[in-house]
Amino acid sequence: MKNKIYHISALILAAILMAGMNSCTDLDENVYSELHESNFYNNRLEVLQAALRPFTHMQAWLAPTGQNGYYYHAELSADQLAWPQKGRHGYDGGDHFRQHYHTWTANEGRMRTAWTLMWTGVGYVNAAIMDLEEVDYEALDISEEEMIAILSELYVLRAFHYMKIMELWGNVPIITAVAEPINPPTQSKAEVFDFIKTELEAHVPNLLPYSEELIGRVSQTAGYAMLAELYLNAEYFIGEPMYDECIAACDKIISGEAGGINGTPELASDLLETFSNTNQNASEALFQFAFSRLGGFTFDWGGFFMGYSNMSRALNVGYSGNNAFVVIPSAFDAYQDNDLRKEEWFLFGPQYEYGTDTPILGTEEYNGQPLIYVNSIRRESQGDLTSEGGMDQGEENSGARFHKYKSGTIDDEDYRENHYIIYRLTEIYFNKAEALMRKNNGVATQEAVDLVNASRKRAFTDEDWAEAQYTTSTLTMDELLAERGREFIFEGKRRTDIIRFGKFTTGSWWDHEPTNDPNREIYPVPHTQLAANPNLVQNPGYE
Amino acid sequence: MKRLNSNLVKGILFTFLWTFSLCMFAQNITVTGTVTDTSGEPLIGVTIQAQGTANGTVTDMDGNFTLNDVAPDGILEISYVGMESQEVAINSQTNIQITMSEDTELLDEVVVVGYGTMDRREVTSAIKTVSARDFNPGGTRSPLDLIQGKVAGLNMTRTQGANPNSGVDIQLRGVTSLTGTRTPLIVIDGVPGGNLDLLQQDDIESFNVLKDGSAAAIYGTRANAGVILITTKKGQAGEPQFNYSTYLQHDRVSDKPGILSATDFRDLISQGVIDADQDFGASTDLFDELINKNNLSHYHNFSASGGTQNTNYRASVFYSNLEGIAKENSREQFGGRININQKGLQDLLTMSLNLATNVNKANMLGGASGDFEQAIQRNPTAPLYNEDGSFFETEAFNNYNPLSRLANRISERNQQTTSADLSLQLQLTNDWSVSAFGSYLRNTYNDRFYRSSEDWDNRVGTEYQGMGYASKSNHLAWTKTFEATTDYRKTFNDIHTITAMAGYSYQYETFENFNVNNSGFTTDAFLDWNLGAGSAINDTSLPRPGMGSEKQDNTLVAFFGRVNYSLADKYYLQGILRREGSSRFGANHKWGNFPAVSAGWTISEEEFMDGVDFVDELKFRVGYGITGNQGIPNYQSLVTLGTGGVYPQNGVYYQTYGAARNPNPDLRWEQKAELNFGVDFAVLERRISGSIDVYNRNTKDLLYNYNAQQPPYVRDLIYTNVGTLRNSGIEFQISAIPLQQNNFNWNIDFTANTQSNRLTKLSSDLYEANWLSFYGLPSPGNLGDAFRLEEGGSVGNFYGKRFAGFTEDGKWLFYKQDGSTGTATEMSDDDLTVIGNGVPKFQASLTNTFTYKNFDLTFMFRGKFGFDILNLKELYFGNKKWLPNNLFKSAVTKHDQLDDDPQYSDYYLEKGDFVKLDNLTLGYNVPLNTSYIRNLRVYVTGKNLFTITGYSGSDPELQDTGFEPGVDARDYYPRTRSWSVGLNIGF
Repeated sequence: MKNKIYHISALILAAILMAGMNSCTDLDENVYSELHESNFYNNRLEVLQAALRPFTHMQAWLAPTGQNGYYYHAELSADQLAWPQKGRHGYDGGDHFRQHYHTWTANEGRMRTAWTLMWTGVGYVNAAIMDLEEVDYEALDISEEEMIAILSELYVLRAFHYMKIMELWGNVPIITAVAEPINPPTQSKAEVFDFIKTELEAHVPNLLPYSEELIGRVSQTAGYAMLAELYLNAEYFIGEPMYDECIAACDKIISGEAGGINGTPELASDLLETFSNTNQNASEALFQFAFSRLGGFTFDWGGFFMGYSNMSRALNVGYSGNNAFVVIPSAFDAYQDNDLRKEEWFLFGPQYEYGTDTPILGTEEYNGQPLIYVNSIRRESQGDLTSEGGMDQGEENSGARFHKYKSGTIDDEDYRENHYIIYRLTEIYFNKAEALMRKNNGVATQEAVDLVNASRKRAFTDEDWAEAQYTTSTLTMDELLAERGREFIFEGKRRTDIIRFGKFTTGSWWDHEPTNDPNREIYPVPHTQLAANPNLVQNPGYE
Repeated sequence: MKRLNSNLVKGILFTFLWTFSLCMFAQNITVTGTVTDTSGEPLIGVTIQAQGTANGTVTDMDGNFTLNDVAPDGILEISYVGMESQEVAINSQTNIQITMSEDTELLDEVVVVGYGTMDRREVTSAIKTVSARDFNPGGTRSPLDLIQGKVAGLNMTRTQGANPNSGVDIQLRGVTSLTGTRTPLIVIDGVPGGNLDLLQQDDIESFNVLKDGSAAAIYGTRANAGVILITTKKGQAGEPQFNYSTYLQHDRVSDKPGILSATDFRDLISQGVIDADQDFGASTDLFDELINKNNLSHYHNFSASGGTQNTNYRASVFYSNLEGIAKENSREQFGGRININQKGLQDLLTMSLNLATNVNKANMLGGASGDFEQAIQRNPTAPLYNEDGSFFETEAFNNYNPLSRLANRISERNQQTTSADLSLQLQLTNDWSVSAFGSYLRNTYNDRFYRSSEDWDNRVGTEYQGMGYASKSNHLAWTKTFEATTDYRKTFNDIHTITAMAGYSYQYETFENFNVNNSGFTTDAFLDWNLGAGSAINDTSLPRPGMGSEKQDNTLVAFFGRVNYSLADKYYLQGILRREGSSRFGANHKWGNFPAVSAGWTISEEEFMDGVDFVDELKFRVGYGITGNQGIPNYQSLVTLGTGGVYPQNGVYYQTYGAARNPNPDLRWEQKAELNFGVDFAVLERRISGSIDVYNRNTKDLLYNYNAQQPPYVRDLIYTNVGTLRNSGIEFQISAIPLQQNNFNWNIDFTANTQSNRLTKLSSDLYEANWLSFYGLPSPGNLGDAFRLEEGGSVGNFYGKRFAGFTEDGKWLFYKQDGSTGTATEMSDDDLTVIGNGVPKFQASLTNTFTYKNFDLTFMFRGKFGFDILNLKELYFGNKKWLPNNLFKSAVTKHDQLDDDPQYSDYYLEKGDFVKLDNLTLGYNVPLNTSYIRNLRVYVTGKNLFTITGYSGSDPELQDTGFEPGVDARDYYPRTRSWSVGLNIGF
């Protein structure tokens, strides 16, 4: 009997030990819904899938897709757009007030988000570059030329990230690897500028010319547009004018040398084509986010620019928004009444159900009453029809609204197929015109006037054109800035423009008073990053 | 054979005589007698009761009793505190001598400690046992409701009230983790990670709560938040028994919010406060419309048990249908539990088998907390229906008609949870045994959702273009566990006892999810049962059909051991070590060690205590233990690529891939070190007994998604170990029997605890966070985060502006940092400060039980004290700016002066202290003169009957666990007062 027991116990113990041997050493993790890097980069498709990851991320901070990225800061701190409090809505901790009044601190949550979004973009590019530099492309049937173009695209994209980061924060670390070093030191704006310039000049020529196959990617038109912008701002960034280089970069694009979607880029003939839901092949597009609802990547500007669900019926669309951004009254007043852009690019006045004269009704201050967008930000429902108003005085109908991009109605076959245009030929015209004028001590040359008039012509009827067109005497630098504003409203460019023109900290608009503090031209480094990285240096004026 | 025969003859003879005597002398008699203890001392005050009657008496000073008018064939029930109750057959005797022995069950209460049991007197750490007889009476929504208020330091709140599809918020001794598991590990019959759905109240034998680290360390990396061991009822040798339990429950709303009625609303219109065009002509009460007034929940449990010493079983089946206070909010479930035990191999081998399952169907459509926000804010003059019977909808921000949703949608979960386990124990020698245990737990559910073409969100003009939308999803999770243990116990020289246990544990867990949705259903006839019929598959103008799936797994392996030594039943020592590895941690930190030591000294056993007669028991305990927390997401240490959305390659939209996270190869577990001092005592013949525990716990290496340095990291957050959290407190538990008289008993149970915490550290050499903030105040307004947790600060600190008054025209004024005042636009981050705290500092519960003859009455008060509530309802609804939505009456009374948009400040913080009558139960044990029915009990229970509080809002018992305690949110599930009647019958 005893023997039997020991046999059984020996068996059980053996079973226990075996179970232990087999399992206790095995604590490896099995992944099912994610990919190990070792299982990736097996073919050309996968190489590009990694190379394109930075694009899907970049739209989050560069396009007006509702995130607190570059776009939010570039527009709300400038003189055209604001996010006022509208009754009980939109106080949002006073965040938008501080952008408008330039009273931000290093604790701004939205600025922190912008920093992380943009540096995450740099990280995605760096990670892709590190991986792709190691790929045995020949084994994957990728030619050397193509591989160089793919890598050049990433180098240029990285430089673009740094350019936008430099615009917001000036002095930042320069990093080209992932997680190395852990605590990189701040480098000066001049060093950052030099890095961007060197990288762009080295790699832009290796890019492929823009073509239909490359829609949505970084091609030569994108690269030279970046260079044109960098050179145009060089005098501001590093005190060194680079207007000839700017003109040369513009000419690469204007001449068609850098390619184009359908041959040489041309200015759009009207005000709508470039922003329509069929703008994928827009004749003046140089660099664009290839959004597509059907592709599963919708350009959704509703968060910033769309009203509540009552406005969906005004446009006959299926989306709605937060009733957030409005046009600052002084920016709307900058358009002459006969400027067609004032009609085409904004929602203003009484709103009607699409295709009818049935009024859209308000839901807040004007609950049950017709919704009429007004060019003021004040308590009109309480009888205030005269004051300048203020950021905390808004109502649901305050300010003209965005209507530059149009999604089409819900039954349109191209409904919400709009691409977001990052660079377009018109901007190159303006950049070249500005470079010419700045070279000429701020006085317009006929070439500059022609470039600007080519754009402006679209905004006026033939009858009005004679009076509306510029001449070398009417196109002053101030007028150039104003026209730039009218043309590029809602395109996320305004902050950089008014900084270059020296108006950002000295100008007044609507109820905004100048701070006259040049330190405000760049943002503080977020306190969370200063806490995490001891080698970061806070920008002047924010210590 | 011979002996058997003679016994048989005697038995037959006896039965014959007994029956004969019954016939002959069926008259009642008087019985006298004496009751003594085992040493012959008379016992005073012993209750003598004739079974099944109200006839009873107690013993006098000399232990004597006289009971008149008892049936000669009756049975006497003898009971006395601290002594084992017994039943004595009268058999026509008129004088009976009764000897009572000490209630060993009470003294030697068996405590489940994880991988074994112990006698209560051997326990050296903080473990609280709650057995079935002490459970909260009445019906429950969750098995944990049975012990609410019974365990000092165990915090439980039903934030969703009586919602049958909601769980209990549970936390032991304060919050112990930022991102990891914060709820205690549930172990059901030895299965770690057991599913509470598998437990019905009548199947539970006991709860054992391992509170301190020295007790919980046996569960290693899962023990930081404490361990709750639940033991189910098992088969028992003896007469086959049947039990049936049932209850019916009805809930009524306990507090209706103080909103304006249609009449009030019109009064304000006539006063000019509200614009006249806001009168839409109807008079409605949406709150009332959402309430399921005829709700009735019922529960049935039927069990059978029996068997022999060698083979026994218990089997139970249950059915319940629980209805919430909201319409379309219910849960119907059935299932069962089987336990089989067998001894064989000459009593050396024991097998034990458990099978349990729960099949349920939950209607999750109603009871959405947002529905009741609508009920508060909907204009009471706005009709709910159009003239044609369709639903009247308003378009304003965050407005919808919940009745339309209830009518036009389906949201349902069909779930099945099953658990099976088998253990084998082999006795190798008298002192030594080995066991193997295997279990398999499987949880699967299938969710269905449908939004019909009539639904407002699908109307013509939306993306759904007036057609239906359907989605389905499946979840499957299973866990397999194998554990092997060996036990040794031996006593040397009569006074040295050593108990040792060693074991190995392997647990593999996995889950998978699958979901799919489609729209464009031109008919509502299919509901979600013909997903392919949705025209969105080919009509690209509709939202694209969606699908997704995912799978994850993880493994936990451990070696563990425990040694107990006791000397002369006076001195006790325990050591525990668990070495555990988890797949979730970084390659450099897969394995960790979790040691614990504790000691006890039963001072009342010492000779020098002999003279102290009033002390029956006095024991000191001290324990120190280290535990961990592996309750974090999988794969956090790995370098992997995740999908990043689509982008075209030559016009075709392919997925893109990029870094899924910042990998952290140094990821390791959060580790808690806890010191616990305890005293157990029993005095005055055990009429007062209890325990006091004092603890201090430090949880270090707190895991959090810290801000990564950017550059150079790709992602903005890195999951890493930084930070230390300290919790300390005192727990007090006392039971007393103030009265024990003829037919009348009064028992008191009181528990209380204090608790405080501090985030002592939130940074390391590599990472630093200035603070963490929680609870973003909702839209409209987005007024910032309500809580801030800073280094040196306490969990639950409200952080915001300080109210300074109103301007003449009713605008807010707040204090600035320098003491001056300013309006809301003038406030900056520097002007914000800690303005309150939402974690109760002190909690207590008091249970009184009275028994008189066959009646018993229990009432339990429960209270929480020393905390603030942020009254968000008042912040938004109590402000005229909330118009054109409906308001609280307070907007035009208490806050009438206010004429400004909502702002978060200490103006809306109130003291939350409360005491509530949580449970009132009246029971009656029906005396029955039949041999068919063993017992029959009926009872009535009322729950949440009234609350005493200074808080102006509704029920002040809010979520008080985690990092967002004490917020009375805009959306909510109405609290209820419930009444139930129940019946237990045994035969």
